[in-house]
Amino acid sequence: MTKKKTRVELDLTRRDFVRVAATAAGSAVVAQAVTTGPLSPFGELKQRQVAGEPANGHPQGEHHWGMVINLQTCIGCEYCQRGCSATNDVALDKHWNIVLPDQTSNGRRFFFSRPCLHCQHAPCVEVCPVVATFVRDDGLVMMDYDRCIGCRYCEVACPYDARKFNWEERTDENVLVPTWGVPEVERRPRGVVEKCTFCVHRIDAGLAAGLVPGVDREATPACVNICPVGARVFGDLLNPDSPVSQVIAANPTLRLREELGTEPSVYYIPAEEAA
Amino acid sequence: MAAASLPRSFTPGRLAWFGLLAAALAVGALAFYQVFSKGLVVTNLSNAVPWGLWITIDLSAIALGAGAFTLSAVVYLFRLKRFQPIVRLAVFVGVIGYTTALLTLIADIGRPDRFWHPWVYWNVHSVLWEITWCITIYLSIMLVEFAPMIAELRPLQRWPLIQRAAHSVHRLAPALALAGLLISLLHQSSLGATYGVLKARPIWFKPSMPIMFIVSAVAVGPAVTMAAALILEWVTRKRTLPHDLLRTIARFSGLGLLVYTYVKLWDLAAVTYYGRTPGSTSAFSLLSQYTPYNFGFWFGEIGLGIVVPVLMFLVPRFNRNPANLVLGGLLAALGVVINRWNVTVSGLVVPLTYSPGAGVQLEPGSYAPSLTEWGVAVGVVGFALLAFTLGAWLLPLFKSPSSASSS
Repeated sequence: MTKKKTRVELDLTRRDFVRVAATAAGSAVVAQAVTTGPLSPFGELKQRQVAGEPANGHPQGEHHWGMVINLQTCIGCEYCQRGCSATNDVALDKHWNIVLPDQTSNGRRFFFSRPCLHCQHAPCVEVCPVVATFVRDDGLVMMDYDRCIGCRYCEVACPYDARKFNWEERTDENVLVPTWGVPEVERRPRGVVEKCTFCVHRIDAGLAAGLVPGVDREATPACVNICPVGARVFGDLLNPDSPVSQVIAANPTLRLREELGTEPSVYYIPAEEAA
Repeated sequence: MAAASLPRSFTPGRLAWFGLLAAALAVGALAFYQVFSKGLVVTNLSNAVPWGLWITIDLSAIALGAGAFTLSAVVYLFRLKRFQPIVRLAVFVGVIGYTTALLTLIADIGRPDRFWHPWVYWNVHSVLWEITWCITIYLSIMLVEFAPMIAELRPLQRWPLIQRAAHSVHRLAPALALAGLLISLLHQSSLGATYGVLKARPIWFKPSMPIMFIVSAVAVGPAVTMAAALILEWVTRKRTLPHDLLRTIARFSGLGLLVYTYVKLWDLAAVTYYGRTPGSTSAFSLLSQYTPYNFGFWFGEIGLGIVVPVLMFLVPRFNRNPANLVLGGLLAALGVVINRWNVTVSGLVVPLTYSPGAGVQLEPGSYAPSLTEWGVAVGVVGFALLAFTLGAWLLPLFKSPSSASSS
């Protein structure tokens, strides 16, 4: 047998090539049509995305809860962190609220703190494979601990490092209790992701009792109540008379990584540069 | 028939091999028990680096199983019938790859008892949801393609119903191959998109991610099947497939790797030399400072994973020797594993920058797998090798379906 000839026979003929190319091109067209094209069952979703609405587009309710953090008045006492971790019974190695020393571009020192920013186009919500996290019509980004499968994709996707995973069943004693507050919610089970809720239990119960979140303390997040210098203001961003709207109207504010288009509900009054 | 591909008597070598596999499975069982009883605290994963070795195994096993859809499409859609003899082996390797990945995922998710949630609670916008669906559907397709091999086993040959069912499955082959091709093109790319769509991560966020994943899978998957065929040939001392066929597959893989190199190097040039965005520049300088990322990339991914296999597959002097083809196939597979590791871990080690115009620079994350994580890894690799050994021993992997249906 002539070796060379066998090899030539095994290589692609022109007819084979045309067939391969045509099938591949056809498959690509079909895949395009049924996934994002006219035949797609997700067509409506696609249109919503093009229109810039969040994937799990939520109807706008009558409230949109938001917060302002004033970096000019924050003294870095970490009370917000402790109040939060006592009230929500958060483990000490995965605080929902973080406080970090920071400095402006010309060297003036200030303290930076961060709850969950409750983004309206939240990357965590977009990637969750089971809708265990979602945006409520009042703007809150919620966790369903009974649905979370613990894949941690939301944790990887969050631009702000706001999500923490329960690596084990908790048996620790919360040393912040009762000095800094009393737990008002259950501990989260092993194997799910958790994060700041804006103390949703207070908001919901408060509204039901006719209170105004951000004005009445019983309906306001623990971190806002406990701040000794009033650096945090909470309330309804849709109501122009709410404290939070008034502060935003009266001060220049920024939101973290605005360029990502996540639309956070937390606004910052930036620290002043050194003179 | 099939059972004769390995003699049934237990030689010392075979006993040692099964002993090794049993040890690996025992280690794996112990590690799985640790994970299920204590939770993921037994890993070295953290809130900074929540994904690690196990995700690397998932991604690699699925990519290396890509020979199944590629070769099925070649035979049943492109109608290159001369590749038919290797399709069964390719599908078998695919089934092993996908089951290995699913097994690892069960350890990796925090709530294994809720593994079924993606099928009930849909978030169609999540690539991970799409991947879960595609992987399940495609594994089912492969199991259907695989079913005739079971039906041909001697104890089942008495049942005409089973035989007829197997025969009709064979008639379905082109439809299955088409569905497999579409679904694989989707999820093999989406695995890259899992990283590519995360806008907050400077070195992941780019449209080339899904493309590099699919191209590397299509290039390396068939080479793994080819290497598996040659290794089986050595062990059983039986020529099962014509070497010309295997060499053609190797050449295909070599060309695929060149396409992969082209995309990869352009991606590198666009991101670093030409693009130079602040985020990726500081990320890469952090990586070269704190991790062996560059060594892994140039030596592991490019050198071992691409240059050597391309030479072995494409240079006629080298590719006539089956040993070189096996070497090339294994190194190309290693290159894929190193790539998936580098992508996953390096992207997470780079800290997020969320404070604009300010000096918060978080510590870079660090990660090395714990003993338990390695234990699970040893266990699932042991599972894959045991499945392969048993299949090679008991299943008619190299019988052509037409002769089977006439028997």
